[in-house]
Amino acid sequence: MMGLNTSQRWGFALLFGLIALAGAEALFWQGDIALQQLDAAFEGPSLAEPFGRDHFGRSNFARLASALRTSLLMAICSVALSSVLGVALGMAAGWKRGAVDRTLSFVVNVLLALPGLILVLLFGALIPGSFAMLYLAISLVLWVDYFRLIRARTISLIRSPEVEASRLYGFGVWYIFKRHLWPNFRKDVYTLSCFGAGNAVLALASIGFVYVGLKPPHAELGLMMVELFPYYSDAPWVLLQPLCAVICLVLSFHMIAGTVDE
Amino acid sequence: MLIKILGRRLAQAVFVAWAVGTLTFFLMNLLPGDFAYRIAAGRYGYDYVNQAAADAVRAELGLDRSVWLQYLDWFRDLLRFNLGDSLVSGNPVSQELAHQLGHSLQLALFASLLSLLIAVPLGLYAGRQVGSALDRASLFISVLLRAQPVFVIGLVLVLIFALQFQLLPVAGFGGSRYLILPALSLALSMAALSSRMIRNATHQVLGSSYYQFARFKGLSEQQAFTHHAQPNIALPVVAFIGIQAVSLIEGIVMIESLFSWPGIGHALAHAIFGRDVPMIQGAALVMGLLFVLINLLVDLCCYWLDPRQREEGLQ
Amino acid sequence: MSKPVVEVFKLSVFAGDSCLVSSLSLALKRGEAVTILGETGSGKSLLAQAIMGALPKELTASGDVRLFGKLNPSRHEREQMWGQQVAMLPQEPWLSLDPLMKSQRQLSLVEELVKQLDAKRARQQAQGSLSAMGLADDGNKVPSQLSGGMAQRLAYLCATAGGADVLIADEPTKGLDDSRKQQVIGLLQQHKQHGALLTITHDIDVAQALGGEIIVMRQGQIVERGSAEDVLNTPRSDYAKALIAAHSQDHFPIALKQGNAPLLKVRSLSKQRGNKQLFHDLSFQMGEGEVLGVAGDSGAGKSTLVDIVLGLTECDQGQVERAPELGPGKMLKLYQDPPAAFPREISLGQSLEDLCQLHKLDRSQLPELLARLRLDEAILARRPSAVSGGELQRFAMLRALLMKPKLLVADEPTSRLDPIVAHQTLELLIEQTRKIGCALILVSHNRRVMNQLCHQIVDLSPLEDTQRVPVDFSSACLIK
Repeated sequence: MMGLNTSQRWGFALLFGLIALAGAEALFWQGDIALQQLDAAFEGPSLAEPFGRDHFGRSNFARLASALRTSLLMAICSVALSSVLGVALGMAAGWKRGAVDRTLSFVVNVLLALPGLILVLLFGALIPGSFAMLYLAISLVLWVDYFRLIRARTISLIRSPEVEASRLYGFGVWYIFKRHLWPNFRKDVYTLSCFGAGNAVLALASIGFVYVGLKPPHAELGLMMVELFPYYSDAPWVLLQPLCAVICLVLSFHMIAGTVDE
Repeated sequence: MLIKILGRRLAQAVFVAWAVGTLTFFLMNLLPGDFAYRIAAGRYGYDYVNQAAADAVRAELGLDRSVWLQYLDWFRDLLRFNLGDSLVSGNPVSQELAHQLGHSLQLALFASLLSLLIAVPLGLYAGRQVGSALDRASLFISVLLRAQPVFVIGLVLVLIFALQFQLLPVAGFGGSRYLILPALSLALSMAALSSRMIRNATHQVLGSSYYQFARFKGLSEQQAFTHHAQPNIALPVVAFIGIQAVSLIEGIVMIESLFSWPGIGHALAHAIFGRDVPMIQGAALVMGLLFVLINLLVDLCCYWLDPRQREEGLQ
Repeated sequence: MSKPVVEVFKLSVFAGDSCLVSSLSLALKRGEAVTILGETGSGKSLLAQAIMGALPKELTASGDVRLFGKLNPSRHEREQMWGQQVAMLPQEPWLSLDPLMKSQRQLSLVEELVKQLDAKRARQQAQGSLSAMGLADDGNKVPSQLSGGMAQRLAYLCATAGGADVLIADEPTKGLDDSRKQQVIGLLQQHKQHGALLTITHDIDVAQALGGEIIVMRQGQIVERGSAEDVLNTPRSDYAKALIAAHSQDHFPIALKQGNAPLLKVRSLSKQRGNKQLFHDLSFQMGEGEVLGVAGDSGAGKSTLVDIVLGLTECDQGQVERAPELGPGKMLKLYQDPPAAFPREISLGQSLEDLCQLHKLDRSQLPELLARLRLDEAILARRPSAVSGGELQRFAMLRALLMKPKLLVADEPTSRLDPIVAHQTLELLIEQTRKIGCALILVSHNRRVMNQLCHQIVDLSPLEDTQRVPVDFSSACLIK
């Protein structure tokens, strides 16, 4: 798309590293996230268990990799849904205005009335421990950003000389989207998607941390932290694993955005 | 203009009530088992409840009527702020909330003050010295802090200050010593964003034509900064506090849960875990209204700071 | 006579190795004016910054500056002079005023802090100055509520309130229309009476009105200098000749045919924006090959009027009748800012290719059109951002001519171009539209050009804001 800057290169390296880690586990180790071996609790790292074992003697590597896969899946799915939805509806509202715009803007105002995480918590409460429900809730919160930005951009672009000229020359809707709107949105949609992916990971971990997200024995980064927290003095290195995983994952998404500010 | 602000925030408050009410109503109907039985159990205790008591509750609350009528009822109660009794403790929800609200406000206020105390001097300095070592360092720390959920910041602080050095209590509620770590975690996570925002606003104002012109008019650097830069920096910064209200409210839920701080966020997480529907509704409602209130205060501040808004109203 | 207050010896400004201003010298005394004349990007503004001591960090200067007898004053010493001895009138008055502060306070603050009057005296003084400038009732307004002309006067007051002798005016008339321009020229002439004036401009009217010495600059080099009379009446350099010729614009072919069947009839058109009546009961008609001018201040509704004619905006009352020839693709527009009118991510050639595909146009006429508009074929491979403004505006014309339009609206087509380029572009526009018998609506704030070119002019100027007549009603009148 465009030349990558240093921060983006490091971000991609970090992200691919995490994906490789999660993938390698699934391909070569294929550990069980729920298999307990109480006599091997907090066993140190070995070749078979590169990240050691947790308080139930479960494989840290298997759990960490599974949690990473869950987070990545959540990030990718919710960004895909929310960006498509947000861009399409934002354009519809900005272009058509009138009743379409008023209706959509009303919905957005209702969604914005509550802080996003509270909304996700309430949705999470509807069907506890359901990945699909959380996915829906997070997407519902995320698409609002796209909608607002794209709507505002569309309104100003539709009035801009470049679009006006193309309309006077008789070009249709698809041409205006392809040549005028999308080239103008592309960069913002990319940036929003990077931060959106980061926010999805943060949200998933946050509700896991307050026991409202995915349920044990499911491996999830926030949940792992809260489970391991009581054992901080026995094995701080185990607690550090999900901690670092969250930070690296979110950091990588923020870095590939290429700009520091949202 | 003032009426417009109040009207907009009132509408937001109504949205909050509607969204919270609807979601919790769904939640109630989705709960497994007999809801009347649960309420009866909440009232009389599980040991004394029987089918007759449940039926009495059902008749009393009209739970045998159609879903739509119940939905309307639900809202009538909500608008009267009649939030019902907790299914877990059996106490009236409003009573529990009144107790918790004070604790949450204390935390929120202290955390916000602390975050401004960190972010304002740092942002102003970095904005005046763009590219300096301090500016770059603050950017690095900001990026790092923003990559973690607020409870990770809290966890790290606990590990360092409470467990490693044993300077402060790990969790709980008591004297001011208990307030420091939760407030600091929240403040750091907010300051990570707001310090950069203040830095950018400062940089922009100091590079603006009107600031340069103020100097050319003969004002000294200090005079130009006081009279022409400060108000112009303050306006976007105050508006940004409104945007940060989201982080603040979300942070309160996380941090209160982490530190077992007996506030509303903690209550909300607990209620969701325990599927205590009236409590969920009450806590989410108060959280939402707190959010609206912060936004309203920010709007009023901006209105006061920005003569353009006031003049618009007069025309 | 007195000693010069500002002297510049062999001043050069560099960005790295490239020289932006080379070896400029000048001397300015009280009661005198020096005017630097040249097109945008010729390095004129850097001179003002170099004298003030406010050059951007990445630029370096060599040579000497003597201010009030002090040779090369330090940054600190110059800052001491700001406002009290040397004042600078900014380019964009709206952007140079504090957006959050009321006009009177912006002015009284200078009295208070620079002249160290007490608060009450400062307020009185400020109110007095405002009244003298016809701003007596505007003391409580913030800049966004002021018109461009009012903001310019307020900026002048603020700049000079510190009591400076030397006034440096950097493009003081940029973006102003004729009547506002005259006001600013009046202010500058007034200042010249008791102080010294250094003006940097691209506008020959300004240079002419101020008199004194003129230095013509091009790309950082002095092309010609001399007294205003000599330079303007008998320019020696080719560049100055072209600049002055472009200004007087008396080469336009005026013999335009008129009286064909009307293409467009506009009847009792009215439009309001907010509380402001842009025009009321406006009627006109135009036929093939005619040129209609639309004049007025910025914000007077010129663009709104042509958008209504083109069917891009709704009017409140009245109707626009278009002849059947004015079908889709036959009413086109040229824009003020040429790069803003093209898809920015594809080459110009691709833009044309898209157009040819859509309308099944004959591509064989392209080479001839390129030649007619003096465009090189290589331009087709480039994107809009990589082409100069003048070329791009000619390319916009090419794109329009390809469609053989019946009505072409040119919305300030040359106001972003340098004077010489602007003149050539306008000449081409008239010539080419006449060739295909296309009606032309020319929107401009340059009355002189319009008087020469247009068969009829619609004037949307509101009544002058200094006259204090209710401004909400504009007089839209047809002249000629």
